[in-house]
Order: sequence, then structure tokens, then C-alpha cells
Amino acid sequence: MAIEPLPRHGDVPDGSIAVRDVSFGFGAGRPSVLDDVTFDVPSGEFFVLLGPSGCGKSTVLNLIAGFEQPTQGTILAGGRAVMGAARDRVVIFQDSDSLYGWLTVRDNVTFPLRVQGVATRERDERALAALRVVGLKGHEDKYPGELSGGMKQRTQLARALVLDAPILLMDEPFAALDAQTRSILQDELVQLSVTLRRTVLFITHDIGEAILLGDRVGIMRAGPGSSIKETIVVDLPRPRRRGSTEFGALYERIHQSISEEVQRALRREDSLL
Amino acid sequence: MSVDRLDPAARREAPPVAVVDASPPGQRNRAFHVLPARHSPWVLTTLSVVAGVVVWAIASRTLDSPLFPSPLRIAQALAESIGNGTLLADIAISVRRIAIGFVLGCVVGVPLGLAMGLFPLVRAFCDPVVQFLRFVPPIAWLIPAIMWFGIGETSKIAIIFYMTVFLVLLNTMSGVAAIPRNQLRSAENYGVSGWQLFAWVVFPATLSYSVAGARIAMGNSFAAVVGAELIAANAGLGYRIVDSGQWMAMDQMFGAMLVLGLLGIAADRLARMLAARFLRHYVHAADHGD
Repeated sequence: MAIEPLPRHGDVPDGSIAVRDVSFGFGAGRPSVLDDVTFDVPSGEFFVLLGPSGCGKSTVLNLIAGFEQPTQGTILAGGRAVMGAARDRVVIFQDSDSLYGWLTVRDNVTFPLRVQGVATRERDERALAALRVVGLKGHEDKYPGELSGGMKQRTQLARALVLDAPILLMDEPFAALDAQTRSILQDELVQLSVTLRRTVLFITHDIGEAILLGDRVGIMRAGPGSSIKETIVVDLPRPRRRGSTEFGALYERIHQSISEEVQRALRREDSLL
Repeated sequence: MSVDRLDPAARREAPPVAVVDASPPGQRNRAFHVLPARHSPWVLTTLSVVAGVVVWAIASRTLDSPLFPSPLRIAQALAESIGNGTLLADIAISVRRIAIGFVLGCVVGVPLGLAMGLFPLVRAFCDPVVQFLRFVPPIAWLIPAIMWFGIGETSKIAIIFYMTVFLVLLNTMSGVAAIPRNQLRSAENYGVSGWQLFAWVVFPATLSYSVAGARIAMGNSFAAVVGAELIAANAGLGYRIVDSGQWMAMDQMFGAMLVLGLLGIAADRLARMLAARFLRHYVHAADHGD
């Protein structure tokens, strides 16, 4: 896929994320999901949140997106306190069921612009540009039900890009895809993030994916009461190759760190039984 | 139509079924499963209709009773009632009752179902009544309806309306509950207003559920209209059934029943065709699969 720069509309706004002492739980009497999560993502960084399943990664994303409110602590996006969902932080979901099945690919992508009241002509132009970027040109008139899993995720990405949001929140967007498609989309996302320079918060449980994509990787502790265990800078030149020695060494290091968490979680479950 | 005339037709349709036996023994079972999918559409449909008529004809001939007229007698009675205009008049009256009650039921059921699906307070308020009334069948309301609204149009339309409204309402409500959370969250993410969320997401996402409810209601409407016309009416297909029964005109009675069934099938087919034509994409993305 040829990467073309997406035309920008206005200046690039601040895309920094700051999560300060954030805790979250689903009500009193139930164990908290997150305890004192703190991390910063500077504007334009590709930050990967990695952790064992069930550790609360998606919860962190939902809090930053504004879908849920923290029970304690503050979250800043672009320097402003997060009060709810907003267009400056666009979410790309793991499930492509977020696409509107009754709308064509084009109408799905223009949907956010229609909400804003952008004129039809400009809407279509911007949608076409976004679709070209994600390699879906020529598929505008198809419906989501007629697309493959990979194409659905490309549509979601186009719908996020069309908004020019400074922050992209990606919740395991490639987890449900087959290995081949996933690998292709990972490569394309790397190229894309280099040209677009937006802040990306990317959730995954796949260590290789984290190293391949991230500028930094935040490793989460096993839940409940999860927090950030450590943050690792991925100081490898791009494009990164999975086979390289440095890649392998970093993989081992992160794997070790996560294994400790999984062991800890298992021991805790044992002691509860 | 006599049995002799129908028999050759039935035999002409037989060969495709015989193909099953032509397959190698090892694959016979598989072929049996594959065959209906490829051949069922019109061959088996025709066979089924023919079989029904044949069984009826044999029964009628064996019993040889005026209470069990032959298919030919029924066809003649039908032709007669078409000729003197009573059949079309009956159809028009029953269909009109169904149409008005059905449309009113949808017009009330869809918005109420959406409101109950969207607003917990509305649901909490309406649900006990809805849950109670859905188990009181339309037939139970026949007598009160006639006492309140008389034997004219209103009582029949009220019964159809009653039946439609609950089916459409309950389906629409479960449609709202089935909207994928990510669709709502995306919309929230893009900053939709309450009205936009309703018109651009909730309504289209629920439409297939409402239509499914309406289709079931349409089918039941035919039963309900006959029920209403049986008790007290002076025209309509249900009235024709009672009236012919009282005069022992069994051929006329079965003719009216036949027309009723055919009308039901036609209405359902029409609904399905329209849905396939205009609502093809109005199902949840999740239902499409990957």
C-alpha cells in the first residue's frame, strides 16, 4: 500500500495524554480494577500498553476515551481534563461491530463529519482521502457485511483518521485478524504513524506487536488493582525486524517481566482457593 | 380436480428425488442432504401442494360426505363467489381491517418499544402492563371489544391493533438492547446529539427487529381477524366461514379458508420481498459474520 500524506485541516493540536493516580472499580464491595495508574504520553508518541489478559488495559483506554469515569485521579488529554468522550480522542475498537452495517464504507467514514455538519462535498473528499490512506480506495460503495475482517479494521481506521484527531486510541485492533492480515496491517500502521505523527495509545497482549509498533511500552501488573509496572523505551531503528538480535533481547526482557505478573496472579488465585 | 388428473403430474416431478438412489452407496447419505438444498425451491413446493390436494381428494372421496367436499367442489364454490362478487368484497373488508389495525399497531408499537428500550424510567413504568397484557390473548378481548366498540369496524381493528402492538413493541425493545455497545460508543465519540444518536444509530440499528415483529404480527393478524369476524360481523372472510357453516355450505366455507391461507402467504411473501429489497443492510454488523 502506498502511503500518501493525509491533508491536514488547521494546525496540529496538542495530543499529549497524562494519567495521574487513576483508580477505577465497578462499585463498592468489588475489587478495584485499577489502583494508582500513572503514566504520560507526549504528543506524537506511539505508546503501547501491554499486559496479561484481564489486567485492565482496555479499562485504561475506556477511561482516557471518556467512556468511563475514574473513581479517583485525573486524566488530561491535550492538557485538558477528560470529562467524557470527545472528537480529539478517537477510538478504534477490536470488534468491527462498531461500523454501521446499514451504511456504505464511504458513509461510515463520513459519519463523524456528518455529525459535525460538514458539507456533503467536503465530507466525501475527506473520506476519499482517508480511504486512500488506508488502502480502501475503490471499496467506498461496499457495506461492512461485504468486507473481510482486515478491511473492516481499515474502515475503522479511516473513520478515525477523517476526524484529524490528535489522539488515536486503539484497543487491540488487530487481535481478531488472521496472522497474515495482522502482520500487513502492523507494517502499514508503522508507516502511517511515522507520516501522521499523531499520538497513539495502542493496547495489546502481544509482545512482538508491542515492540514492532511502540516508541515506548508500558507493562501493566496483573489485576485486580492493576497499575503500570514499568515503562520500557523501544530504542530500535525503524522499520523493525522481528528476527533481529536486539528485537529478540527486548522480547525476552518483556516476556520475563510479564511472566512474573502471570505467576503472581496465579499464586494469588491459589492462595484464595 | 380429480386424483387421476393430478397423479401424472406428481409422477413427472418424481425423477429428481430418484436421483438420490442413483448415487454410489457410500455417498447416498451425503447426496440426500445435498439434494434438497439444490432442488427444493419449486419442485418440492409443487410436490407439497399436490400432495395436500391429493390427500384431501382421497379423504373426500372415501368419506363421501357433504361435510367433506372435494377439491373440485371447493374450486367451483370459489369460482361462484368470485363471479357474484362476494369473495372480493369479503377479502376487501378483512384486508382493510387487518391493514388499519396492523399499521396503527406498528405506528404505536415502534416508538413505544424504542422509548422503553432507551429510557429505563419509561421501561420501568410500562413493563408491568406490557408483561401482563402480552399473556392475555386477543381472543380474550373479543367480547369486551364488541361490547365497547360494537359489531362494526372498530372492534375488529382494535383486536388487530392489540395483537400487533405487543409483538412490534417487544421486538423493537429487544432490538434496542441488542445494539452493539461499540456502535453507541463510536457515536458518542464523534459527539452526536441525542437526536442524531436516535435517528442515525438507534432507529436504523433496531429496524430489522421491528420488522421481524411486524412480520409475525402480520401472520397472526389473519387469525385474529377471523376470530373477531366469527363472533359478530356481517361481512369479511371470518363471517363468510361462520355464515356458510350455518347454511351447511361446506364448499363455500373451505373456499373462504383457502383464500385466507393464501392471503396470509401472499402478505408474508410481500413483506419478506420488501425487507430483502430495502432492508438488506439493516441488520447488525455482528450478524454478517466475517
